[in-house]
Amino acid sequence: MSDKDREGVNRRKFLGFAGTAAATAMAGCGGGGDTDTATDTESGMGDTDTPTPSGGDETPTDRPEPTTRDGYLQRANRHANEQAPWVFLNRQYSVYGKSADIEWQARADEFIDAYAISPATDSGDDVVINQSQMDSGLDPQDHRATPTDNVVMQAYEKLLDRDLEGGIVDSLADDYSRQEDGRVRFQIRDGVSFHSGDNLTPEDVAFSINRIVDPDVGGLASPQQDQLAGVTGAEVVDGERAVDVMSDGLNPILFSLFASYGPIVNKSWIQSNDSSYINQNIDGTGPFLLETYEQNVQVVFNRNDNYWRDAAEISSLTITSASESSTRVNSLLSDEADIIVNVPPQEVSRVEENDGTSIAAAPSTRVIFNAMRYDVEPFDSPEFRQAINYAIDLESIIQNVLSTFGDATGQPTLDGFFGYNSDTDPYPYDPDEAEALVEASGYAGAEITLETPVGRYLNDVEIAQAVASYVDDLPNVTASVEQRDFQTLAGEVTDGNIESSPHWYLLGWGNTTFDASQTIIPLLTSGGNLTSYSNDEFDRLVEEAQSLPSEQ
Amino acid sequence: MSYGRFLLKRGFQGILVVWGVVSIVFMLRFITPGSPVDAVAPLDASAELRQRIAEELGLNQPLYVQYLDYLWALLHGDMGYSYISGIEASQMVFTKLPATVELAVASSLVAITLSIPLGVISATRRHQPADYAATTFSLVGISTPNFWLGIMLVLLLSVEFGLFPTSGRAYGFIEAFRILAAQGVSPGLDALWQWLRHIFLPAVTLGTYFTALITRLTRSGMLEELGQSYVQATRAKGLPESLIRYKHALRNTLIPVITVLGLQLGTLIGGAVITEAVFSWPGLGTTLINAINVRDWPILQATLVVIGCGFVLVNLVVDAVYAYLDPQVVAE
Repeated sequence: MSDKDREGVNRRKFLGFAGTAAATAMAGCGGGGDTDTATDTESGMGDTDTPTPSGGDETPTDRPEPTTRDGYLQRANRHANEQAPWVFLNRQYSVYGKSADIEWQARADEFIDAYAISPATDSGDDVVINQSQMDSGLDPQDHRATPTDNVVMQAYEKLLDRDLEGGIVDSLADDYSRQEDGRVRFQIRDGVSFHSGDNLTPEDVAFSINRIVDPDVGGLASPQQDQLAGVTGAEVVDGERAVDVMSDGLNPILFSLFASYGPIVNKSWIQSNDSSYINQNIDGTGPFLLETYEQNVQVVFNRNDNYWRDAAEISSLTITSASESSTRVNSLLSDEADIIVNVPPQEVSRVEENDGTSIAAAPSTRVIFNAMRYDVEPFDSPEFRQAINYAIDLESIIQNVLSTFGDATGQPTLDGFFGYNSDTDPYPYDPDEAEALVEASGYAGAEITLETPVGRYLNDVEIAQAVASYVDDLPNVTASVEQRDFQTLAGEVTDGNIESSPHWYLLGWGNTTFDASQTIIPLLTSGGNLTSYSNDEFDRLVEEAQSLPSEQ
Repeated sequence: MSYGRFLLKRGFQGILVVWGVVSIVFMLRFITPGSPVDAVAPLDASAELRQRIAEELGLNQPLYVQYLDYLWALLHGDMGYSYISGIEASQMVFTKLPATVELAVASSLVAITLSIPLGVISATRRHQPADYAATTFSLVGISTPNFWLGIMLVLLLSVEFGLFPTSGRAYGFIEAFRILAAQGVSPGLDALWQWLRHIFLPAVTLGTYFTALITRLTRSGMLEELGQSYVQATRAKGLPESLIRYKHALRNTLIPVITVLGLQLGTLIGGAVITEAVFSWPGLGTTLINAINVRDWPILQATLVVIGCGFVLVNLVVDAVYAYLDPQVVAE
């Protein structure tokens, strides 16, 4: 194998071949929201009859068939709640430390938008962000990690963007519409220029999209190919300052994808430079200009005074990293950093009690759950699965293990996502009901083991131990915890063969699109690569949902 | 045995050790659970894709073929490419090496500067308060874990008093001198000052254990030498006590001390992992931890091989110097 060939053998390359937009979600990516479409649960097309988590394998047949995509997804979430393929745990929070020198609010999608930072004091003009790791290069289309996004997306922009809560907002496109199934049109904003001085053109936009989805364009097999799931290409519209994006089929979540993914690059700049140069320099349209770049050490930006919106309020931005959380906290306390990421619960009080620093927390896009394999005893019984959900005091776990940095969940989809069923509540803590359901399931006396990764998610082992302890408190079930190496556990879950998955395991899943389908399809449908569940009615609901557009 | 033959023999042994290290590092991948495919494949990758990845990584080859391929590539300076970033492993490791070497040398300097005077004072004022203070210090120094000491120093000197930065490495030592040469005295001195401020706490943290160790070694060596008959003879000759201590006794004491220091330098290159993590020092230790966390095997293997080779090389140099100074070693 030649050196050139070998160079391609890495995670980036293979991510490009993945099947869904959520391929790195378990690794903890953030996501964006979609309030354009995600808050219409009261529209009458949903699934609003009163939920009653209870036993029984039958799917309710007395509910009218939904008529919209949102309705089908809500129904699927209801189904999941009732059939309990998971022990529903918590929505994880992103917890930041923040200096009083700046004003800033955390976003739902985990991106730290330096443009939104305002100085609160004179020393807040030069901002330092300390994250857990540095970027893996500056090519905005050649990575898939949040830390890299936090660096490159200060200088590059997308067609659409997200607000604090995850709602879709305009960015380099100032209008967009669905032309027909498989074709949407973006109107490209006028008066935008790249840092090099070139004006943004529709050709740049079409090239950027094609560079992501087509390995033959722009000299890159982009690992972001599956982030724009279903997109087959883009072309400039004759006579208009617009670009058409073509998809394979309807692609109901396309606008949501372009609000989360698809950074726009300068076609001529990319074509006239090699990969190494593009990975160490920047020519974007964003609010910050690259000043210096030291790989794996720090990146320094200055404000772009020719930005198409008002220039950023801060003058300079430095992004650095420390893998140890205590090191990041110390840098905040000693005024070396203005924003630090991932403050663990045990460090929160140090930040809160220090003069001049505080905690900024926001619900993330990641759900933590315990999957129960539907095809093995005792988890093949819906009653048994429901019993486990009733057996745990989720509020207490969130209070005591997560120091309140978590929200209880009762369905796979998180609040605010498209397809979230707002009438479906988390299971209440009811050990008596749990005991009765275990008896009804016929699996009294069962011995079960919860397999959990160590240190992968916030206090994962502690959560697993609390769950197992609650279940073990039932007189008719014995539960224990087995700690596993994450990669090994993930390897068993993701190998496409449900029979090699553990029977009961803890995982987290970040959905970067704010759309229910990107959690449900890979994790709970019969064909999902990480599935622990299979049910014909559930599969049908999801299939119907994917045949309808989100915008209705 | 001649000195040349001695060196040849030691060199051959060194090569054997390096080969052993490389083989063990290679085998690590197979005795740890999970497959490298898990590190490369997207989590929702299909079985076909996983199979394709295994093929492209050469993982479907028999073990001995993979091993020989690895050895052959290594002999040609090819350590592979990072699974995560695609960067050449040798490039990543060798750009991190200067930071680690800098830290190892700085901590050795801290150790030498403090430990030898302390050891001498302790030996020459045996059973006096200064001796008790020095021995207590060395006991505490040997017993204190690096990570705890590092965190405490940061909390006290950086967070509480603001004397030093909490983490990072503003400039490399050589880079600071480049700035001095290129940009003039003021920015150059500022860069050097920043370098010193950043390296001070990590160097003290890493150097404390060795300071304690060498203090004890110097103390016991000095005591032994001061009891030797040649010292009695020099005293009988009427030489001043300071001359006896520092010209005769200390010189002889320093031979084993220098040997230990040399060997410790090798240990420091590999042993700075925790200190680097605590201070976010961008060296080999941090690279190693990051590689372990994400199962980036090419980087992990390259780091371990470089650390192993460094250790062997330092040992070889120490052996050579020792044999040169003390020909009995060659004879034995």
